Amino acid sequence: MSSTPDQQLQSADLSNGRVVARLLGLCWRYPSQCLVILGLQVLLLTMGMLGILYTGVGVDVIGSAADAERESPRWPGGLAPPADWDTMSVVWLLAGFILLLALVRSYSNYLYNMRLARFAQDRIVAPLRSEIYEKLQRLSFRFFDQNASGSIINRVTGDVLMINLFMSQVMMQSIIMVVSLVIYIAIMATIHLPLTLACLATTPVMMGISIWFSARVRPLMTANRKTVDQLILNLSESIQGVHVIKSFGREPDIRDKFQGLNRRIRQEMRRIFAYVAFLSPSTSLLSEINLAVLLAYGGYLVFIGEISIGAGVVVFAGLLQQYAQQVSALSMIANLIQQSMVSARRVFEILDAPVEIVSDQQAERGHVFKGEVEFERVSFDFEGGATEPRARAIHDLSFKVKPGQVVALLGPLGSGKSTLMSLIPRFYDPTEGRVKLDGVDLRELALSEVRQNIGLVFQENFLFSMTVAQNIAFGHPGASREQIERAATIAAAHDFVMELPQGYDTIINESGVNLSGGQRQRLAIARAILRDPAILLMDDPTAAVDAETEHEILEALEGAIKGRTVFIASHKLSALVQADIILVLNRGRIMQVGSHRSLREQGGYYKAVAEVQLYDDDNLDLAGALAEAERASRAPEEAP
Amino acid sequence: MNQAAAPGQAAISRQRGPAEPKQRPLDSGIFVRLFGYTRPYAALRNVLAGLALTRSVQLPVLAWILGEVIGGPISNRQPDALFWGVLGFLAFSVFVEVTFYFRSRLALQLGESVVHDLRAECFAHLHRMPMSFFHRTKLGTIISRLTSDIEALRTGVQNVLFISIVQLGQGIVSAIIMCWIDWALFLIVLAMAPGLYIMTDIFRHRLSKASRDVQESFSRVTASLAEAVNGIRVTQGFAREEVNAGLFRQLIQDHSRYNINMARASALYLPILDLNTQFFTGALLVIGAYRVLSPEIAMPLEDLIQFLFLAALFFQPVQVLGQQYNVALQAMAGAERVFRFLDTKPDWEDDPAAREVKLTTGQVEFRGVNFSYDGETPVLRDLSFTAPPGTTTALVGETGSGKSTILALVSKFYLPGGGELLFDGIPVEKITTQSLHRHLGVVQQQNFLFTGSVYDNIRFGRPEATEAEVWDCLDQLGCKDLIEQLPQSLATIVGEKGTGVSLGQRQLICFARALLPDPKFILLDEATSSIDAITELRLQNAMTMLLSGRTSFVVAHRLSTIRRADQILLLSHGRLVESGDHRSLLERNGDYAKLYRQFTDAAESVKNEL
Repeated sequence: MSSTPDQQLQSADLSNGRVVARLLGLCWRYPSQCLVILGLQVLLLTMGMLGILYTGVGVDVIGSAADAERESPRWPGGLAPPADWDTMSVVWLLAGFILLLALVRSYSNYLYNMRLARFAQDRIVAPLRSEIYEKLQRLSFRFFDQNASGSIINRVTGDVLMINLFMSQVMMQSIIMVVSLVIYIAIMATIHLPLTLACLATTPVMMGISIWFSARVRPLMTANRKTVDQLILNLSESIQGVHVIKSFGREPDIRDKFQGLNRRIRQEMRRIFAYVAFLSPSTSLLSEINLAVLLAYGGYLVFIGEISIGAGVVVFAGLLQQYAQQVSALSMIANLIQQSMVSARRVFEILDAPVEIVSDQQAERGHVFKGEVEFERVSFDFEGGATEPRARAIHDLSFKVKPGQVVALLGPLGSGKSTLMSLIPRFYDPTEGRVKLDGVDLRELALSEVRQNIGLVFQENFLFSMTVAQNIAFGHPGASREQIERAATIAAAHDFVMELPQGYDTIINESGVNLSGGQRQRLAIARAILRDPAILLMDDPTAAVDAETEHEILEALEGAIKGRTVFIASHKLSALVQADIILVLNRGRIMQVGSHRSLREQGGYYKAVAEVQLYDDDNLDLAGALAEAERASRAPEEAP
Repeated sequence: MNQAAAPGQAAISRQRGPAEPKQRPLDSGIFVRLFGYTRPYAALRNVLAGLALTRSVQLPVLAWILGEVIGGPISNRQPDALFWGVLGFLAFSVFVEVTFYFRSRLALQLGESVVHDLRAECFAHLHRMPMSFFHRTKLGTIISRLTSDIEALRTGVQNVLFISIVQLGQGIVSAIIMCWIDWALFLIVLAMAPGLYIMTDIFRHRLSKASRDVQESFSRVTASLAEAVNGIRVTQGFAREEVNAGLFRQLIQDHSRYNINMARASALYLPILDLNTQFFTGALLVIGAYRVLSPEIAMPLEDLIQFLFLAALFFQPVQVLGQQYNVALQAMAGAERVFRFLDTKPDWEDDPAAREVKLTTGQVEFRGVNFSYDGETPVLRDLSFTAPPGTTTALVGETGSGKSTILALVSKFYLPGGGELLFDGIPVEKITTQSLHRHLGVVQQQNFLFTGSVYDNIRFGRPEATEAEVWDCLDQLGCKDLIEQLPQSLATIVGEKGTGVSLGQRQLICFARALLPDPKFILLDEATSSIDAITELRLQNAMTMLLSGRTSFVVAHRLSTIRRADQILLLSHGRLVESGDHRSLLERNGDYAKLYRQFTDAAESVKNEL
């Protein structure tokens, strides 16, 4: 099947704002849980602040008791202990209070983290993954034609994780930052407003540095990532193509190429390091400048008696350090935002991809299909109707097949054989015209019912890592062992299955590597006929095997096609001679129709193909056959 | 009877082979060897160690200055001293952060340099390995040696040692300052350390176990997903979407549960750590108050303030060193695997006595050759035959009969296990691999192409060839037009896994690649993939051109190829059953004749009708 890489998924051009709004929308589906988590965070911050505040008060209490010249401590909110308490009792009270705060804080911190994790996992990540997975399964083949499997897998795993990070880090961290900024400023302002402003003066600079940093480093990182990808591609190709490298003795050149990339990575990294190493020192220097401002200005305020040492300077120092930690998270946020935007887009692309093939909800169920297939002026192109007729994969095709007939499809690569067959189980819908099953348009039938009545055998059949029995019963997990064995027997697979170590319970390896090509193909045939489908589609089942195996498969086919409507695409004469009808296709049109006998008399492409396959007969004129075949394949181009 | 009721369960419960351990105990041998990789950068490394030491002193001193300024000039109201104090604090801050900058930058550079060297060494080592290594080692394993394992090692090199120096030093220096200020109060601080250490230790273990569970369940999710995507056509074709979605939902929920378990471990740890700090603050206040207020001791208030700042620096290493210890274990695991790979000896290397040979005749002789890939199951048994110069030998036999093995031996991808393989009468062991390969043109069944232009792919065996030579070579194969049809002709880019060119073109490129260096021998494993009949006929003609006049070995799948061979070897289970040309073998009416009739049955019936 041809692919059209130009066709992009639509959500790629969602604006940043829309993406963020959608992400927030994902959380806000559960507003009460969001509010509880936010509330816990506010509580935590407030208690942390109170702890620092009362430590400062404690210092002042001790200070004023030791030195009568010092002013008496100021109690926040005027909540002072009774004046007749002695100093030690007050200190005990404060220590007890700090500890109590810490206990409550620890407990609510635990609650907060657990709530957040549960929320993220149960409400965001798991549902999102399931949703994508279910969506993926319903997407048409067009989607899988256009997207590499690695990228699809990454969307369900890595990209969803990034969205989770966005929720739990970016969003929470931003909220924490805003909330804590407010609370810090509020508390510091109650102590001394001008001092607060002076100490926080560097904040914009910090934010500026963080933003500058991520803007500066990101392009470098992206470039470096590309070089690393190239290095890995180079490595993996050098392993996959190791026999080519060795047989041409090119090891030294391959090594040089790898070395070149390796060195380039090191150079790029060095530039990146120069920036990366700059970020942390610069933000800590700024927070140290804040402290210096506090010492100078705060010291002056202590001199003139506006603030005390403990509740003033010590508390401010503590708060500033906490504050610096929050702000330094900024650059992490800036980086994560970018990455999670990209990821979110990729996830939304899947969720937004249109499901092209939709089952008719009103369709009656419980049909018993006879297997009559009719194409009524069917045209199809992979781009979805926008292109000129000549580029179509199928062009204005009409034919009718009676139940139980065997139809062979023949034609050069790209002539539309596979495309024609994939229209029958509705993997695609025709751009124009109708495909009918037992006289009913496919689009008016229940999709699952249509597919359950069609058996499929592909060129290269994917077997899953399950047991042999489970693979045969793939489309019908409830099948009994008898049914499975019967299908295997028809497909000439029973005997070799019994020779496997655990018979039908043998688990097939990752990619079925412990079976030969012929054996895999015979299991695929058993899988296709298990449900006794009215229609059997076989896309060049003998394509990827050698002559001996071809023989085995043809044997299996003989049993499998009995009593079914069969479509088989093949170049092999041995498969073609069995057909009731042979359709010779070229560029999406029917060039010749007929039985083997009638086509042979017609000459043209079919005769040429037949003769080419028999040309080991010494008296056959090779060059003549070649010329004839060439002429035949060009024919429709010359006579439109 | 309903054993097939839950397909996929087996796949879910089953592990995908033994997982590689993420951590490994510290091992001085590995450490010393890893340390050896910093030797070329000894200056850098030593400067770094110096910077780390400087920094370990700087941090406590900075905290001390802060405490001194608050406790001294501010509390005693001395404006002049305050001015100098603040200035000193600022100046020292700049010094601290400049040190910090260079420490991180140089550490990153050192890490990258070591990684660079190791990557280069691994790659060079990889391509010294003979074919048997690639035969038994999975692609993914090799790639993770050069990627994730080396990355784990990088963090070890650039962080563990230097961060540990900074943290340890910082702990010790702040302890000394605290002792110096008030040793009795310090002892109280010290008493809290073991508790903190034990707690950190317990939680670190819980955390790493939880994260291992998460990783394992994640790889199950990925594996099941990969199958779902790769098998999507089958799934949709068999209308099994619902069943699969249900199974996947289950996996995802499992994974969530593990994630929440991990969150629980860290949700407990961090608050308890915090509680510990607060507890310490409370205790310090009470005890400090006694000591300040008691007339015998009369500790100055400034000292209490100092303690509040310094104690935080004293406790920090306990946590950070714990983390670094974990990082070190991961780096050890990575390093161990990388080194084990580097220590893998090639199964064989060229005999020192082997020499450069110019093979002028082009004769190959197998003399009683035995061979086995694993040393147990024999693949070739006592095989003897001669391929005369300039002739084509077709290898015929069922899967596993040893056809491809013969090609692999002639390619010197493997050495014969017994007997002799002679090129122009010279034993293969006496010929250097490089000089033998200069005489070989190989076409593999998979038709592997590298990403890059068609031009570069054809010139792979002779990079210095000109464009005219490449066209000339395609012309010889009679297929110039097949390449001219490509969108950018020779400059067309072949994508990953050969995308961008058709199957027929791919095969043709491989033919041209083999022909371009004008080799003495051609080794060809005929492709089985189906191409339309006309292109196939043209490729058959091209193949005839490729083989003509060269000593060639062909693993044949097509009757026409077999029929035209000068010599046919019929193999079964590694033994030579029959040999001779097509006509003589048919006359003998043995196994070959039987096989031939089987192949042609279908064709015969058609021929009769025609």
